[in-house]
Amino acid sequence: MVERIEDLNLPNAVIARLIKEAIPDGSNVSKEARAAIAKAASVFAIFVTSSSTALAHKQNHKTITAKDILQTLNELDFESFVPSLTQDLEVYRKMIKDKKESKANNKKDASTGDAAASSSSVAAVDENGDANE
Amino acid sequence: MVDASKLQQKRKPSADTFLPLSRVRTIMKSSMDTGLITNEVLFLMTKCTELFVQHLAREAYSESCSKQSGETLKYDHLSQLVNKSKNLEFLLQIVPEKIRVHEFQEMLRLNRTSNSDDDDESASESDSEAD
Repeated sequence: MVERIEDLNLPNAVIARLIKEAIPDGSNVSKEARAAIAKAASVFAIFVTSSSTALAHKQNHKTITAKDILQTLNELDFESFVPSLTQDLEVYRKMIKDKKESKANNKKDASTGDAAASSSSVAAVDENGDANE
Repeated sequence: MVDASKLQQKRKPSADTFLPLSRVRTIMKSSMDTGLITNEVLFLMTKCTELFVQHLAREAYSESCSKQSGETLKYDHLSQLVNKSKNLEFLLQIVPEKIRVHEFQEMLRLNRTSNSDDDDESASESDSEAD
């Protein structure tokens, strides 16, 4: 739970950097504007979370999924975010998968041939499962 | 459509986040009645908040100070954007338009006499510009 209200603020330096990236070089941001954007971002996160939760509950799911968030963004008129986010998510999932695989490989190296055969067959099943999605 | 492709040219898809995941988790928890947030959802939310920050800055800037470079993005630019964008309606209370004290008093007076005409409002606006 949140103990202090400041715990809901996003770090100023990161916000400043993100803003700088978005506007042309050589332009400035007033302190007030930066504070307002930071506040808006926190509220946005809460807003999207609660909307996604409502959506998940409507489908009788207890926890929200990536799909719920993307669908919520569409409903809230932020559909321009969805293509980039989908790409990011792909990269993220691949990274997680690679991590898992390298872990499995490490195990394989350490163990006997039998274990290697079974773990590679598990990996094959995983790949099929992903393709079906 | 053009906007979206520009967005994608500017940033490559990546699994790195700039905002701290732990902070975003705290923020998400503050609104959720269920506690469980998967890493994937947390990642997506963080990315999405980053995109929102840049969207807000870019839109407010291009609306108000587009052509000349070296302009300063000010609070008023943001509140103007929030005021006119339908998908930013949820921020109306968070980023309200600033008004002057005498404009506020004028609003109160109009409310009391309960004839808040559009004409009256625009008249008070031009008054403040003359100041």
